Amino acid sequence: MSRDRFARRWIIGSALAFVCAAVLLPLAGPAPLDMGRVWAGEEPDWSILVHLRVTRTLLGLFGGAALALAGSLFQSMLRDALATPYTLGVSTGASLGAVVSIALGWHVVAGMPGIWAGAFIGAAAVMVLIVLAAARQRHVSVMGLLLAGIATNSVCAALILLIHGLSGMANSFAISRWLIGSLDSIEQPALLAYIATVVLMAVVIIRQARQWNLLSVGDSWAATRGARVTPLLVAGYTSGSILTAATVALTGPIGFIGLVVPHVVRTRVSADDRVLMPCSFFLGGVLLASCDAIGRVILAPADVPAGAITALIGGPYLVWLVRHRI
Amino acid sequence: MLLQAHDVGWQLGEVRILQRVNFTVEPGEFVALMGRNGAGKSSLLDLIAGLRRPTDGALSFDDRPLEYWSADDLARSISHLPQMVRADVAISAEELVLMGRYPHAMGWSESDDDRQAARLAMTRCGCFEFRDRRLSSLSGGERQRVLLAACLAQEPRLLLLDEPATFLDIDQQLQCFTMLREEAARGVACIAVTHDLNLALTFCSRLVVLAGKTVAADIPVTTAAEDTTWLSLFSPRLVVSRTPSGHPWVSYA
Repeated sequence: MSRDRFARRWIIGSALAFVCAAVLLPLAGPAPLDMGRVWAGEEPDWSILVHLRVTRTLLGLFGGAALALAGSLFQSMLRDALATPYTLGVSTGASLGAVVSIALGWHVVAGMPGIWAGAFIGAAAVMVLIVLAAARQRHVSVMGLLLAGIATNSVCAALILLIHGLSGMANSFAISRWLIGSLDSIEQPALLAYIATVVLMAVVIIRQARQWNLLSVGDSWAATRGARVTPLLVAGYTSGSILTAATVALTGPIGFIGLVVPHVVRTRVSADDRVLMPCSFFLGGVLLASCDAIGRVILAPADVPAGAITALIGGPYLVWLVRHRI
Repeated sequence: MLLQAHDVGWQLGEVRILQRVNFTVEPGEFVALMGRNGAGKSSLLDLIAGLRRPTDGALSFDDRPLEYWSADDLARSISHLPQMVRADVAISAEELVLMGRYPHAMGWSESDDDRQAARLAMTRCGCFEFRDRRLSSLSGGERQRVLLAACLAQEPRLLLLDEPATFLDIDQQLQCFTMLREEAARGVACIAVTHDLNLALTFCSRLVVLAGKTVAADIPVTTAAEDTTWLSLFSPRLVVSRTPSGHPWVSYA
């Protein structure tokens, strides 16, 4: 029973941290804000806070949450503690699409920025390709998904290098910058659509937490305990990929969140996905939004990409954690 | 009749693994499913567990064809212990046993009844005292007891075990088979794949031997010492004698 209370405290605590981050982090930035002017709705303070910092913080919170949740989902599904949202190839597919759109100079496609459109198309193509490749006689296995994902990853990565090499100076810089991953303020309708997608997928994924627990022990273990493995794997793959693809489209491939956060929660809190997934969701959001806030002020007025900060903090921390656990 | 196999066959691509397999299992029977490597024992167990569909013939459980059972209905009646289960999952023994309750309580969390059933199963398997330990910290024998408890927590009427004692020391093997015999005495039918002929002769009620892709011998243990033709299905170098207490015993020549 005390284990349940411990777990509940962590879920509530991390949810509170998420809310606090949403309130406090917009205050951090290169230019000081006068709260009196913001309150009175005076420019430019009001616009800086609401249009730039709040949207950017929310993107960081939900982006980090999406990546950490997708990471924990893929780790359970693939029974591999080193799986990340990027293991199954969707993000490289999205990156390839984005890089193509940068190289071809698509600025606006169907009313949205060309990079997003490219990323969505790339991700969707890869998703369909991988499920078809992994399915054998209408039966999908973990091994099949993993192999198809890794193969797709390397093909897409090679194509990205190729396009990168063939592009001119300006495009090449834009591609490198995009591939590091960073947060930018985006239009409110796009942000709302993104948040709705993340919340919906999170509900779909976390509701099936007990089935992810079963899968983390084994395919046939899950099947003989009443889980329907093939539909479950396809649902997990699709929802995890939608989370990843939407996030990568808006922010570029931000590393380490999807690996570090679930790993810390698993060793420190619980490996039960009913606890692990909600905690990873909230703490992943807090971590990415905080890294972005640090990146805004650390070399101000220069803006250090959040992807660089997460890697700089996440990498050494992971090594430290591994050394102190064993 | 709890389980019936009628002319069951299974083919993987072009390779035929099983053909014309016929047998029945009644409640309370403890069947040793044996045969040489590659005889199709695990495949047959997977077919019975519903993990694969037979390519020919039909399996029925409770006089109802297996394909008419939904996955969760079947999981409430049949429990399957795979040969290999991942040992490095970062969960406690009790959490693993509670997974066996999944088909009984598909909601978000387990009820008090589920916890009670899990506790009972752990007590019966002698693993209640390490309920809070992580699975990765248990020895092979302790882990096998936890896995068995997870199967019992499912409250099955048919237990399928794929080499439950293979990696255990002698004492743990005896304890494992004693537990299974007790389950059979409670009316649960058990089918255990094993390579150990003497374990099978000592604890099981019936021997089913697979050879030549089908059931080559199906005899009660009580007659296994008289008619020894089944022994040659394993090796020409085996003989049956009797222990001082009169029990059949296989020795090597």
